[in-house]
Amino acid sequence: MPLMQHAPSQPRCRKVRPMVVMRMSSWQQLWIGLCAILLAQSIPAQNYQGRELVKATLLTDTSAIVPGKAFTAGLLLRMAPGWHTYWKFSGDAGLPTEIKWNLPPGWKVGEIQWPIPLKTNDPGDIQTYGYQDEVLLIQQITPPAKIDISPVKLSAEANWLVCEKICIPGGANLALELPTASSAGAATAAGSATADPKNTDLFARYRRLLPQNFPGAKTADATWSRVDPELRLKIVNEDLANYPIVDFYPLPQGNTIVGHPSVESRKANEIVFRIPIESPDKNLSAMPGLVVFSKFPNGNDRAAWQLGTPAIAVAQAAQPSRGIVTFLLFGFVGGFILNLMPCVLPVISLKIFGFIQQAGQSRQKIFRSGLAFTAGIFAWFLALALLLIALKAGGRDVTWGGFQFTNAYFVLGLSVIVLVFALNLFGVFEISLPQSMTRGLLASSERKDNLGSFFQGVFATVLATPCTAPFLGTALGFAFTQSVPVILSMFVAIAAGMSAPYFLLSAQPAWLRFLPPPGPWMVHVKQFMGFLLLATLLFLLYVLGAQRGLDGAIWASCFLLIVAIACWMKGAFIVPTASATKQTISVVIMLALVAASGFYFIGDKFYSSKIDPAASNAPGDWQPFTPERLQSERDQGRAVFIDFTAAWCLTCKFNEKSVLESGAVREAFQRHGVVKLKADWTNGDPVITKLLQQFGRPGVPLYVLYPGKSEEPIVFPELLTKSILLDKLETITPAVASQ
Amino acid sequence: MKTKLLLTAIAAFIGSALYAADVPPVGSAAPEFSAPDANGKTHSLSEYKGKYVVLEWFNPECPFVKKHYGSDNMQKLQREYTGKGVVWLTIDSNAPGTEGNLTPEQAQKVMASWKTKQTALLLDPESNVAKLYGAKNTPDMVVISPEGKIVYEGAIDSKASPNPADIPSSTNYVKAALDESLAGKPVSNAQTKPYGCSVKYKSS
Repeated sequence: MPLMQHAPSQPRCRKVRPMVVMRMSSWQQLWIGLCAILLAQSIPAQNYQGRELVKATLLTDTSAIVPGKAFTAGLLLRMAPGWHTYWKFSGDAGLPTEIKWNLPPGWKVGEIQWPIPLKTNDPGDIQTYGYQDEVLLIQQITPPAKIDISPVKLSAEANWLVCEKICIPGGANLALELPTASSAGAATAAGSATADPKNTDLFARYRRLLPQNFPGAKTADATWSRVDPELRLKIVNEDLANYPIVDFYPLPQGNTIVGHPSVESRKANEIVFRIPIESPDKNLSAMPGLVVFSKFPNGNDRAAWQLGTPAIAVAQAAQPSRGIVTFLLFGFVGGFILNLMPCVLPVISLKIFGFIQQAGQSRQKIFRSGLAFTAGIFAWFLALALLLIALKAGGRDVTWGGFQFTNAYFVLGLSVIVLVFALNLFGVFEISLPQSMTRGLLASSERKDNLGSFFQGVFATVLATPCTAPFLGTALGFAFTQSVPVILSMFVAIAAGMSAPYFLLSAQPAWLRFLPPPGPWMVHVKQFMGFLLLATLLFLLYVLGAQRGLDGAIWASCFLLIVAIACWMKGAFIVPTASATKQTISVVIMLALVAASGFYFIGDKFYSSKIDPAASNAPGDWQPFTPERLQSERDQGRAVFIDFTAAWCLTCKFNEKSVLESGAVREAFQRHGVVKLKADWTNGDPVITKLLQQFGRPGVPLYVLYPGKSEEPIVFPELLTKSILLDKLETITPAVASQ
Repeated sequence: MKTKLLLTAIAAFIGSALYAADVPPVGSAAPEFSAPDANGKTHSLSEYKGKYVVLEWFNPECPFVKKHYGSDNMQKLQREYTGKGVVWLTIDSNAPGTEGNLTPEQAQKVMASWKTKQTALLLDPESNVAKLYGAKNTPDMVVISPEGKIVYEGAIDSKASPNPADIPSSTNYVKAALDESLAGKPVSNAQTKPYGCSVKYKSS
């Protein structure tokens, strides 16, 4: 008998089962204990005053177990007329049904898949969500690849609260035995069992009642807003008009207390819900739940979309609750650290040389030069801040770092700048501002110097911008969710951090004493810095390769070669000693070369270089991330780890090499059965951008672990360490492993 | 097993049929009310001004209420805090004809057999007090400061279950709120989601 379901034969125990806990004396407890032992196999029915209130049965959709092949189990609760059990969120009263599986080691069980519940209104404005008559709570069970025994006994303890006018807790220890089969439809020699579909109609009926994933941006749109003390949810979809009843069933997380959702307004293809929040969750900006459609209230045709995987709601909770001052401090420190980034160091070293050479000059002059450099840094950051604020006001998705770096042409432009600057450091050519510009505008040489300092400041910052230092990511992520003054102060903090060393040095030239005196060594350091820039260039080419493939990187390099030749021509032929004709011809050739190669290599070849999406996807045992994939893995109760990364993100690469791909971590992922998804943001995939924003992050890296049963995703720091990751991985064991 | 209390309808109380008030938020003034206790003596909130007052919504038939009385958990709290000068008002707001509604005699009987230790068990069969406070559950707990402000509302403890075995491992929010208040500190967890049966309002 595959299904063990004994009718209870001990009437006295049955009487005790729907226990009235009040004044339970010790002999009663003993009785219950004794009954529990006697009925350990199965107590399928709950009786109350001689009536059977709930009959519980454990079912599977297969007649036999195939090792390694997931199947579906269901807890079928049949309630007496008028009595109901509860949904995952029970509403104003009641309790959700619980199922605790007791499976052999190596077996895994997914989360309960709850059919769309019925909504009940009781006197006194009491709203509850539950099931009447019958419900099947579905769970996926994955057996290990090797099963030694047949038949296998699967047991579970179910606990529920069943209510009519009064509520009575009930429970049952259920078990079922299934033979094992080698494969679907094939009999094993030992058991001669075949794995055939079972209870097909019942499972199909309840699968139809499961909520669907939200259809996604193409067909429907969900927008959350906060109008204190409520959340507003706007759903836009063409089919809404076909359903007279559209409702929102909330799934509050954590300590959030939700009031009764109601319809604020409704148009042909648009509905707005008001969802009152009664707990003081200031940061809550969204809530998971179901958008339920039907022709009639609680109609059997009801269908639902599952909205806002917990990620959305928890994104707020995951946001650090540090104060603005802390974030401004982060911004300052981050700005300071930018100076040490290899892409910025060369510019910076030039500035220091400037100081060394100026050491003998007047304090005022040095101070003005330092001030100009600082102004250049501030000018760029503020310009960027204003641009981002404008974009944000225009409703555009704004992110940091990748905001520039996900654009291949930005990377190409940066490559050109880096190369030209490197050649300049090597001494291939000198940069001189055109005569026409310097005349009138810059009468004195000091004015010219100061303008130079200003542009050096701008230049240093342009190069620094994409180097999102670890501190900068968090600080800017915070800033983007804030008001305009906060965004501005954040950028000011970063600019201040970055310019602090020069500003202080120029204000206190006495400190220059600690630097060595000027000499030929400076030329050598300058040239060496050129190589640092070439290293930066290699990195940029690698990014271009990741964005546009090997061909794209080669075509970009061809263009860079021509640019280099043009620079050499500038240094060789466009010099004051050359005749005007010679200079003019050189300029024409230079421009022609650059224009022609730009047109051919970039406008044509580079433009049409595309990367094969299949080839670019996740190496090794990492799977490419999609929201659907995440949802389906989570629905099946698996733990999921997501690595948000990009080819141009050095921090990401470092974390992957030193932590994610390390032996201990790989082993831990495997042991806990964690599904590893890689979200590649190299090209600024908008789907990934949206998810990053939900986590309050302006860019990559981001590491998120969705533990199996727990609703809340765990967000890891940008600088990942093995110990943090391993610690958190250990905590998910009980959620997914067999229990 | 103790026989279940039989219930009959009685409505010796006239009140206005206010409907389904929102929950007054934590920090707001506790709405004034008055109701008779099991001995017929009327209690009003205003007469306890200057003292901490606990409101506890009650239904002797509800398994969640039984969880806390069957384990002596509720009586212990009542004993401890009434001993510290706190006024503890247990309120039965279940409408006549519903499970849990109590006549004065039945109320006295429950108090005696369960050895309850509250200041008074108030009978509110028109659910007027429940409506004023937006009470939806039994048990549903409210703590009112001597100044008449609500300082806590919500569940009795952190584990929403009818199982008394969960009590030792739960955080008792009412105890925490009272301890903090009595020590002159603000209540750190001032609002939680109450759990339990529904208050049985009269069908309209």
